Amino acid sequence: MKTQRIGAWIAFAIGAIYFLVPLIGTFEFSLRMRRGEYSFDAYRVVFSDPNFQATFGYSTILGLMTIVFGVLLVVPTAYWIRLRLPHLRPIVEFITLMPLVIPAIVIVFGYLRIYNSSSILPFTGSRRMTDLLLMFGYVTLSLPYMYRAVDTAMRAIDVRTLTEAAESLGAGWPTILFKVIFPNVLSGVLSGAFITFAIVIGEFTLASLLNRPAFGPYLQLVGANRAYEPSALAVISFAITWFSMALIQLVSRLNKFKVPSV
Amino acid sequence: MAFLEISHLQKSFGTNQVVKDFNLSIEKGEFVSFLGPSGCGKTTVLRMVAGFEVPTSGTISIDGQDVVNLKPNQRNIGMVFQAYALFPNMTVAQNVAFGLRVSKKSNAEIDATVTEMLDLIRLGHLSDRYPYQLSGGQQQRVALARALATKPQVLLLDEPLSALDAKIRVSLREEIRAIQQKLGITTVFVTHDQEEALSISDRIVVMSEGRAEQIGTPFDIYNRPASRFVASFVGTLNLLEGKVDDAKKGVIDLDGNRITLAQPLSGHKKGEMLALALRPEAVTIDPHKARDTAIEGTINDVHFLGSVIRTRVSLGKNSVSLDMFNNPGSPPPARGEKVRISFAAKDLLVLGE
Repeated sequence: MKTQRIGAWIAFAIGAIYFLVPLIGTFEFSLRMRRGEYSFDAYRVVFSDPNFQATFGYSTILGLMTIVFGVLLVVPTAYWIRLRLPHLRPIVEFITLMPLVIPAIVIVFGYLRIYNSSSILPFTGSRRMTDLLLMFGYVTLSLPYMYRAVDTAMRAIDVRTLTEAAESLGAGWPTILFKVIFPNVLSGVLSGAFITFAIVIGEFTLASLLNRPAFGPYLQLVGANRAYEPSALAVISFAITWFSMALIQLVSRLNKFKVPSV
Repeated sequence: MAFLEISHLQKSFGTNQVVKDFNLSIEKGEFVSFLGPSGCGKTTVLRMVAGFEVPTSGTISIDGQDVVNLKPNQRNIGMVFQAYALFPNMTVAQNVAFGLRVSKKSNAEIDATVTEMLDLIRLGHLSDRYPYQLSGGQQQRVALARALATKPQVLLLDEPLSALDAKIRVSLREEIRAIQQKLGITTVFVTHDQEEALSISDRIVVMSEGRAEQIGTPFDIYNRPASRFVASFVGTLNLLEGKVDDAKKGVIDLDGNRITLAQPLSGHKKGEMLALALRPEAVTIDPHKARDTAIEGTINDVHFLGSVIRTRVSLGKNSVSLDMFNNPGSPPPARGEKVRISFAAKDLLVLGE
């Protein structure tokens, strides 16, 4: 028993070292901009860079749009699959997993081929339309996480009986979806939303090849041309991801009502 | 026409026909229970009345209006589910108010109705609680209040007591009946528990394999079962096999004993085997309580159950189970002891198929 516990601690320590040492190294390096002493100069440079503000703002707005569109797409789909079309569940699960198997570069080349300026749907013909196309791409990339988060939350409630109870009380579909189902899967929706946000903030391939001023390409550009700032940006990116994950935890703990166990 | 009229209702799932030519008329204010084993189609009929299942054929009308083509939210029906189905994100008061808000009642009316309903179920002091903060019995009472708040034409209860423990079941079923009688609401109650159905219903529909085997008052269902299934499903029953001796006079041969039944056996021939039933409480081995028919038998089994002693008496091919109250002054009968059982011939039921 004691040997097993020691083994587990060793495995944990190796994992922690593997994860933390490069991170600590990166953080330490990001503080060395001023010769001979530690400072936050690299962070000051990054935060005062107008390109940082512009690209981060752009990605944030796109991230929020992706979340809204993704939620409107995924929640009704997961609900309907659970309620009326459970036999289609494996197919939908397969489709939502596709973005994990198909690289983003393949997706974006497909987009450029189908939605180029001389096609029937010329999404790449203008900036706004390209932004829209980029958002659709982000929705696709975040689909595996968003769908699973929402579906898991729906598994915790008896969707069918709650729907029937609401129907017997005179409620129509919009009321059932937004007043009964949505509040009860909110923790799942928010989990999916924060993961989506983290994906959008760090995504490079789609934004770069669609030539949009997002945070991912900015990270790459700075990384290729500066010494200390890329390390500061890497730490900032990690901080954003951790912040999102902390919010997921917070939301699931602060839920003032509990869903019944099924 | 009855208030709730179900005519020639059929339902099939693929090739599996789960409800077969179901007919029922329920008067306004009546409390009717659907009783039957799992898979007999009772819940499917209820769900068709609620609008959650579409009948393959047949009609359902409420207060003269055909509701088959109406959606569930257009039928003005209150439903209580086995799993409570309270909305977890809403408090008790919000749950009860849900239907009223959907029908866009004024805030004053909603508040008044919610207070009235919570008083009815005696849970006014828990109006701010969430469902997870309530016990199962309390949750089901809130579900009942929620279903009644919109003043539905018909109240449907789908095994509402099945998830509760025995004590709560008894008190809640009495509460449901009292509320139903107070409001005079037409109610359909689905259960597989015969005691539940017998104790609170005006009429019972005993169902088997998608059909209504018998429809009648609890007294009729228990004392005059129309078929072997009803007899065996409702209450404990001794199933016996006799031979017709004289059909016109109603005489049968039961393990060599000639017994004259209360009525002639029309439609039966001499020598034909006959399925008979006898309730345990109709039989006695106490000579002081002897009835018009007596048969010699041997005690096969004796089970001491505390206040009751359950005894099994072999008559030959047949055997009869009977219950006696425990008498501390006299020891229970012993196995192998010869006894004389007696019963009234009118209590011997001739069963149909």
